Amino acid sequence: MKPAPFEYVRPGSVDDVLSELGRDGAKVIAGGQSLVPILAMRLARPTTLVDINAIGDLGVLTSVSKGLHVGATVRQRAVQHDPTAARIPLLRMALPWVGHRELRSRGTVCGSLAHADSAAELPAVACCLDATITVASPRGERLVAASEFFVAAMTTSVQPDELVTSVHFPYATTNQGFGFAEIARRHGDFALAGVAVRVDARDPFRPTARVVCFGVSDKPVVRDVSAWLASAVATEGAETPEMTIRASLSDGSADLADDVVDTVGDAHGSTAYRRQLIAALSSRELARAYIRATQDQVETT
Amino acid sequence: MSMPRTVEHTAADGQVSVEFSVNGTPVSLRIPPRMTLADVLRDQLGLTGTHIGCEQGVCGMCTILVDGEASRACLLFACQVDGSELTTVEGLGKPDDLHPLQESFGRHHGLQCGFCTPGFLMTSYDLLDHEPDVQREDLAAELSGVLCRCTGYRNIIDAVDDVACNYREGLPEPKNLGHRTLIGRSPVAMTGARDESTAAAAAVRIDGVRPDEIQLPTGEPTMSVDVTSTLESSIEDVGRVFSDVRLLVRCLPGAELTDELGDEWYRGRARVALGPIRLSFNGLAHLLVHESDRMHVLAQGNDASGGQAQAEIQFLAVSDGTGTRLQADARVFLVGRIAGFGRSLAGDVARRMFEDFATAVDQAARGQEPSADAKPPSAFRILIATLLDRMRRLGGHRRATARRQLENRLSEKR
Repeated sequence: MKPAPFEYVRPGSVDDVLSELGRDGAKVIAGGQSLVPILAMRLARPTTLVDINAIGDLGVLTSVSKGLHVGATVRQRAVQHDPTAARIPLLRMALPWVGHRELRSRGTVCGSLAHADSAAELPAVACCLDATITVASPRGERLVAASEFFVAAMTTSVQPDELVTSVHFPYATTNQGFGFAEIARRHGDFALAGVAVRVDARDPFRPTARVVCFGVSDKPVVRDVSAWLASAVATEGAETPEMTIRASLSDGSADLADDVVDTVGDAHGSTAYRRQLIAALSSRELARAYIRATQDQVETT
Repeated sequence: MSMPRTVEHTAADGQVSVEFSVNGTPVSLRIPPRMTLADVLRDQLGLTGTHIGCEQGVCGMCTILVDGEASRACLLFACQVDGSELTTVEGLGKPDDLHPLQESFGRHHGLQCGFCTPGFLMTSYDLLDHEPDVQREDLAAELSGVLCRCTGYRNIIDAVDDVACNYREGLPEPKNLGHRTLIGRSPVAMTGARDESTAAAAAVRIDGVRPDEIQLPTGEPTMSVDVTSTLESSIEDVGRVFSDVRLLVRCLPGAELTDELGDEWYRGRARVALGPIRLSFNGLAHLLVHESDRMHVLAQGNDASGGQAQAEIQFLAVSDGTGTRLQADARVFLVGRIAGFGRSLAGDVARRMFEDFATAVDQAARGQEPSADAKPPSAFRILIATLLDRMRRLGGHRRATARRQLENRLSEKR
């Protein structure tokens, strides 16, 4: 038994969870795949663990208003293999990179968002797709846009007496294309640097594009790169070969990397190395996402 | 995924009820909330095949199946798996009927020290069960959740790829599921039971020590022994020994009674020594029938080497003239290294132990202190006697001479 002693409760309703969260030092546990290592290292010593796994409503994974509703206890692996989730290609591309299969079987999508590790994949995906997070509190429910949700490293706008109950990811529309890539020391470890990319190429000469970088700052860093991409495809539009796009993008990629990477680095990767990664990954994935958006290709990593 | 029951607010030094099944055996426990599943499997349930490495979710040693999906047992509190079906490496195959994955790991030398093997087997099972079409080039990434420091992974990938190629239509189910009696490890193994929650945990172990029944494995026993001995003592005198459990245990070579749990349940130790080999089984015995002329015993014990022995033994005493004929009939199931010790030799040793038991009962029935009394040393004698016995059976003058020489040398040593 490595964690420090804690009180434990597993309520049957969200209301009961909220009243437990009213006590000092209470912490929610869903899949526990990020929390338990922290408890084992005794970096956290919550007074009470409030286990939300006995609440049926929180386990719902369903199609709601042009998107996917993912309840707070829905496992990452369940989403990865859910046929409906195929309508959100970026989610499908990112999930295999979330930890290892042994962690995704218990780890939850909402838990990953609420934990808000700066090197985690799902917060970047949520920001890239403009996901909406539902947060319940004794004062009622509120909807939080992903862009407002992540505040700093492992810090979100969720208050101690609040509970994340679900997240809503909008389905991809036609003319959208996505890219995802990360570099980690071994598959499944936290990313040294990674990018999630969304391109909308309804007008192939004037695409809109967004890059979200993770592992390089204290939270996911979102950048609108529409102008950058548009300049790379301005002459040939949808006919532009992928390698040509990548070549044009590589010019501005160092500037993007300088802008987004503000981590001081660590033993596994210096700031300069992470900038190199972001420059390479963002131009590559942006070009790929544009090709997918214009040619209706299936996304793969 | 199964949904756990609700749990009332429980104090840090309190206990939470949890029910789940492991390898087909239903389990019901009360445990402190912070106890990890890995600890419960190993300490409470004696399933030490699940190894513990980093205890923070990195190394993958403790990987087991929870509701069919690979999970880290160190990242789950045991109370969280309420209602789940667990499969550990013990459930995957039997020593004489390995799962194809186990067989393949052996054939491809996918293990060296073996510490990571349970983790690799369980995660490979999950992978091939859910993604039977997985291609060799993806295996390194798919198996990245378990670390191996010996093999360099190539042989592991060979082993898993081999099974993947042979079972594209579906991986065989785990082969060793069924009702078992799971016995936790001795509370003595706990160190420094200082704070209350640890003391509480220790208390659970002792409480949890007596199961409802001892369940023997199905299938062929590792060995069957049928020994009939002729005793000089009358059946009444033998009956006196039978009725006195403490005296009876002193007649068993190497056996020691440590606790009487009531209702004919006993906890004890049995030590067997064969040359340099020292086995010490801690376990339970349940006397289903306990009369002056017959006994029906179920016993189960774990050895520190990870071996497990289970036995069903029936004794029948029949009056034979002025003496008594004592018949012992045993079915013994061995798991672990002791099982690989050699069936015939194990059988010979067991048979010799029953003969010694009969002699000791005869002594006890005559009012003498039985000679088998708790000193395991008889085991050296047992081994020699076993070897001599074999020679005798082989027969022949030369061997008889060799036997005499051996006996002479032994008597010199004594």
